[in-house]
Amino acid sequence: MNAVASSLRTQGSASTDTAPLDTSTCFHCSEPLPASAPRIAIDGVEHGFCCEGCAAAAQWIRDARLGDYYRLRSAHGGRVEPAGEALACWDREDILAAHARNVPGGRELVLLTDGMRCAACAWLIDRALMREPGVLEVSANAVTGRIRIAWDPARTPLSRPLQRLVSLGYRPWLATGAEREQARVKERNRALLRLGIAGLGAVQAMMFTEALYLDTNGSMSIPMRDFLRWIAFLVSSPVVFYSGWPFIAGCLRELREYRLGADTLVATSVLLAYGASLFETLTGGPHVWYDAAVMFVFLLLAARMLEQRARSAASARVDALARARPAFAVRERADGSREAIPLEALEAGDIACVAAGDAVPADGTLLAGEAWFEESLLTGESRPVHKRAGDAVFAGTACREAPARMRVAATGVATRLSQLAALVERAQAHRPTIARMADRVAMLFVAALLIVAAIVYAVWHAQAPDRALDVTLALLVISCPCALSLAIPAALASANGALARMGVLPVGPDALDRLARVTGVVFDKTGTLGETTPALASVSTFGGMERDMALRIAAALERDSRHPLAAMFAPFADARVRASDVRTVPGQGVRGTIDGIEWRLGQARFAMDAEDDGALWLASAGESEGARFDVSEAPRADAAEALALLRAQGLSLHLCSGDGEAAVARFADTLGLTDVHARQTPEDKLARVRTLQHEGRIVAMVGDGLNDAPVLAGADVSIAVGDGAALAQRAADLVLATPALHRIPDAIALARRTRRIVRQNLAWAVGWNLVALPIAAMGMVTPWIAALGMALSSLTVTLNALRLARVREGVAA
Amino acid sequence: MTILLLLIPLALVLLVVAIWAFAWAVKQGQFEDLDTPALAILVDDDEAPPQAPRSDQDDA
Repeated sequence: MNAVASSLRTQGSASTDTAPLDTSTCFHCSEPLPASAPRIAIDGVEHGFCCEGCAAAAQWIRDARLGDYYRLRSAHGGRVEPAGEALACWDREDILAAHARNVPGGRELVLLTDGMRCAACAWLIDRALMREPGVLEVSANAVTGRIRIAWDPARTPLSRPLQRLVSLGYRPWLATGAEREQARVKERNRALLRLGIAGLGAVQAMMFTEALYLDTNGSMSIPMRDFLRWIAFLVSSPVVFYSGWPFIAGCLRELREYRLGADTLVATSVLLAYGASLFETLTGGPHVWYDAAVMFVFLLLAARMLEQRARSAASARVDALARARPAFAVRERADGSREAIPLEALEAGDIACVAAGDAVPADGTLLAGEAWFEESLLTGESRPVHKRAGDAVFAGTACREAPARMRVAATGVATRLSQLAALVERAQAHRPTIARMADRVAMLFVAALLIVAAIVYAVWHAQAPDRALDVTLALLVISCPCALSLAIPAALASANGALARMGVLPVGPDALDRLARVTGVVFDKTGTLGETTPALASVSTFGGMERDMALRIAAALERDSRHPLAAMFAPFADARVRASDVRTVPGQGVRGTIDGIEWRLGQARFAMDAEDDGALWLASAGESEGARFDVSEAPRADAAEALALLRAQGLSLHLCSGDGEAAVARFADTLGLTDVHARQTPEDKLARVRTLQHEGRIVAMVGDGLNDAPVLAGADVSIAVGDGAALAQRAADLVLATPALHRIPDAIALARRTRRIVRQNLAWAVGWNLVALPIAAMGMVTPWIAALGMALSSLTVTLNALRLARVREGVAA
Repeated sequence: MTILLLLIPLALVLLVVAIWAFAWAVKQGQFEDLDTPALAILVDDDEAPPQAPRSDQDDA
C-alpha cells in the first residue's frame, strides 16, 4: 500500500488521486496543513508539513539518509511539538540513580514513548539515536513501546539523545513498570523455551515410537524394542515434566482447591499416558504411548501460546500507556523561580505550574486568574470547564489554552484519579463469576471416565485377572481426552487471532466466553458513541452575511489554532481567504484581520459583547455582519449502523453519560436510544450496571474515559475505545484499536460463533471417545488403532476450530 | 541394525544441540520483536553515511 502511495507521489502533485494526500495533510503526521505550510523536498518530491516541528523532523530524517522510514512505515508519525520540552530533568542525578542501571562503559535506562506506532518507528529510533555521540546501545520495541538506551555519561548527558527523540516526535516517559515488564519478558521466554523443547522432543519421541508402530508383525528383537522404548522415555521425560509443568502445576492447584478443572484433565491424561508407558516399558508389556503424551503437550502449549500472544501484546501496550502519566511536575520555588521535579517529590502545599496542554500533576486549587480544564476523561463532561481562582482542579485532567498555577492539596494515592483506580480494582474483585465451560465439561468427563475405568477393571479382574491392568491402562489412554482438552483452547486461539485482525484487542481472559452471553450493552456518550471533537449543528447569519463566507472566514481564523473547535471548520478552509494578525484570546476566542476587516470568533461575550448563550459567534469589527454557529456533539459516523446491528442481535441498549440532561437527551434522540441516564458519576454508572445485572442481564459496557473505568471493570464484559484513557483500557476486557463502533457487533457475532464451534468440538471429542471406549473396554486395542484414533480426534477439533480464523468483512449478522 | 547404535546417540546429540541453540536464541531476545528486524533487512546500511547527522551535532 505504501509502495503504491509513494509511486503515486513520484508522479507529481498534479495527480488528482494524490491531491488530498499531498496537499491537505502533513507528510509526517497527516494532520491538516495550515495556510503557510513549510515545504521540503524528499526523494525529489516536495511535501507540505503542518508545523516547523514536523518539517524539521522530516528534514533531519532526510539528511541522515533515513528517508526509508517513510517507505517502511505503515502508520503516520505523531505530530512533533515544536516547543522544546524541558529535558534537563532527565540529567538529574536523583532520577538517574533511581531508574538507571550501570552497564560496562556507561548507564542504561528504559524509556517509554507514546508515539511508536509501527515497526518503522522502532527502526527509525534505533538508527537515529545510535548516531548521537556517546550513545552505546539502543533497542526500541514497537510492540511494547519501550526504548532501552545505554549511554556514556562522560561523553553526553542523557538529555542530548532525548532531545533528538523529541525532535522526531517521540516524547520520552519514565518506564516505571520495569519489574513487571521484566517479569513478563521472563515469563514469555520461559513459555517459548517450553514450547521449543516440547516441539523438538515431540518430534524425536515420535520418531522412536514410530519405529515401534511400524513393526507390525513383531519381527523386532526384544532388546531392540526395549532399547527404543527407553530412548523414547529419555526424550519424552523433559517434555512431560519441563514443558508440561504449567499443566501439572495447574492440576495440583485445582486439587488443592478440591475441584476438577481443565488443567486436571490435561495433566492426568499426559501423566497417564507417560506413566502407563513407563509401566509397560518396565514390565515388557504390549504397547507404549510416549508419543501421545508429548504430542499432546506440544499441541496444547502451541494453542495456549497463540491465544496469549494476541492478548499479551495488547496488554503490554495498555499497561505501558497506563503508566505513562507525567513523570515530572514543575514546582515554583519561594523566590518565584521554577524547577522540574519528579512527580513523587511534589508535596501538599507546594505551588505547581501547569503549561497549557499539559496534564495536571496533582489535586489542588487554582491560585490566580482563570483557566480551562478538559475534564472529559474524569467526568464525561464534553466541553472544557472554566475555573477561577479557588476552584478545585484534579490530577489527570488537562489544562487548556492558558497556563495555570495551582496549590497542591493532595498527591499520589489521595487524588481523585487514584481513587478511581482503587474503585476499578474493587469493582474487578466483585465481578460476577461466570463458570468457565471448559472446567465444567472437564469435571464431568474426568468423573465419568474414572467410574468407567473402575468398572472395566473390576469386570476384567473377575474374568481375566492377568489382563485387567493392561486393558484399563489402554482404556484410560485411548479415551485420554486429548481432543476434549484441545476443543476449547484451539477454538479460543483461532478466535483471538481473528479478533486481533479485526482490530479488537482481547486484553482480559475469558473475554470471548463472556461476550457470547451478553444480553445488554451500556454505552458511554462522549468519546464512545459521540465524536471527541464537537460538530457544527446549524449556522445562522445576520447582516447580509452568506453562510459559506462565514464558514470560510471562521476556517481562516481558526486555521493555526489547536483548539478542538478548529477541526470543525477545517473542511471549509479556502486558500483565497487568508487571515493575518491572528491572535488567540485564551478561553474566549480568536481575532484576526481578513481583507482589512477585523473579525472576532468566539463566545458571544467576546465577539458581540452580548450575553453568553453557549453558541459560537463570528462578528466583524462593527458588528454589522456575522454568524452564529450552534455546536453540538455529533455521533460517530458508524454509531447508528452499529446500534442497528446490535439491536438485530437481540441486545437491549442503554446510554449512561456524565454530561448534562439536555445534551444527553438530544444526543439519544438522534440515535433512537430510549433507556438514557444523564449526570452519572462513575459510582452511579457502576450502580446502574449492577441494577441491570440484578435484573438478570449479562451486561457489556462500552466506554472510553477514566470515569468509565470502574464501570468497565464491574460489567460482565467491557470494551474500551482505543483513543480513550489508559486506565479505562486497563480495566477493559477488549480494546477497540480504532474507534470503529461496528467492530462491536462483529466481535459479538464472532464470540457467538466461537461458542458454537466450541460446542461442536466438544460433541466431536465426546463422540470419538464414545466410539473408542467400547473397543478399549473389550481389550481389542492395537497400537495403530490407538494412534489413529487419537490423531483423528485431535485433528477433527483443530480443523473445526480453524474455521474461526477466517474473518469475513461485515460478519455482524 | 548395529548402525542404530551410532545413529540414535547421534540423533540425541543433535537434539541436545538444537535445544541449546533454541535456548540461546530465546535468551538473546531473538523472539522479542519479530517485526522491526524484518524491516531492517530491506534497507541498505551502506547508503547511510554518518557525515550527514554530524553537521548539526558536531561537538562530540
